[in-house]
Amino acid sequence: MQKLLEFSGIDPERLNLKWVSSAEGPRFAQVVTDFVEKIRKLGPSPLRRAPEERQAG
Amino acid sequence: MIEQVRNHVKSLMDEGKINAFLGLRDQEGNIFPHVFQTLEDLNNGLSLGDLSAPGDSRYPIAKVLLTLLQNYPDKSFGVLLRGCDDRALNELLRWNQVQDVRRIIRVGIACPSELAGLHECRKPFPDEFVAGEKAEPVTNASVVEIMARDLNERLAYWSREFDRCIKCYGCRDVCPVCFCNVCTLEEDALIRTGDIPPENPMFHLTRAVHMAGRCIDCNLCTEACPAEIPLRTLYKKVAEIVRDEFDYISGQAGDGKSPLNILGPAPGHTSAND
Repeated sequence: MQKLLEFSGIDPERLNLKWVSSAEGPRFAQVVTDFVEKIRKLGPSPLRRAPEERQAG
Repeated sequence: MIEQVRNHVKSLMDEGKINAFLGLRDQEGNIFPHVFQTLEDLNNGLSLGDLSAPGDSRYPIAKVLLTLLQNYPDKSFGVLLRGCDDRALNELLRWNQVQDVRRIIRVGIACPSELAGLHECRKPFPDEFVAGEKAEPVTNASVVEIMARDLNERLAYWSREFDRCIKCYGCRDVCPVCFCNVCTLEEDALIRTGDIPPENPMFHLTRAVHMAGRCIDCNLCTEACPAEIPLRTLYKKVAEIVRDEFDYISGQAGDGKSPLNILGPAPGHTSAND
């Protein structure tokens, strides 16, 4: 999936796939928190900007 | 070449091995799939895609065959297969789309090198064929060309391409290995419906993911696309990923399942996280 995103021009770091059991509450929270932080650092997705740029072009 | 095919099919009918033959028929210059039911019928318009050689009138004939098998559960069929159709049928078998493979008799034809070149065909002949000469495989370099660009260029490229989509579903409908009764692409909860162009890249990437371990690289989707979106390039990349990750090349004859048709960890892994 990440390789396909990379091919499509989307930073593969924006996708995170993890297997978390329903019995692993703390781990789930950790995985989500970490990823939210990571995405914040990466900033808004280029896909959100793309439509305006396309209209301008 | 067509006589070889005709005679072969006639003998299959004579020997009672098949009840009918799914091939192509030329009616006043229009070529389309047709079920030939009698010897007499075979003398009336049998075509290999053009008048004498397997020309460029291609159809997802393996998918047409599935419909026939379902509608006539006690009949056996011969079927005209090019290299791509042969791969499609192999893949459909691996996805359990045929209950009884003994009801199918393959009548293969090899495509001429012009056609192989036109479609940059990786294997322009079926495993076994009754007519034609093996043409050299032709490679398609489109994936390498995209990979040579940087991330932003790729996004700009695909956004431009996807923006032309009129959501006609032609790529899906013509696809010989798209057999699902319910299609994610029409599920409003997953991909917003009613938009043109459709929600992108979701629409096209979703279809691309569904092509993983399935697409047999026939080029029908790209050929059918009225907006000329290079869909094949996208699915070729997916096929490359599946080959690298699972060592699976779609369309080959055999019994094993396609990796995305298996529940559980990938081969060599004990869980989804390792």
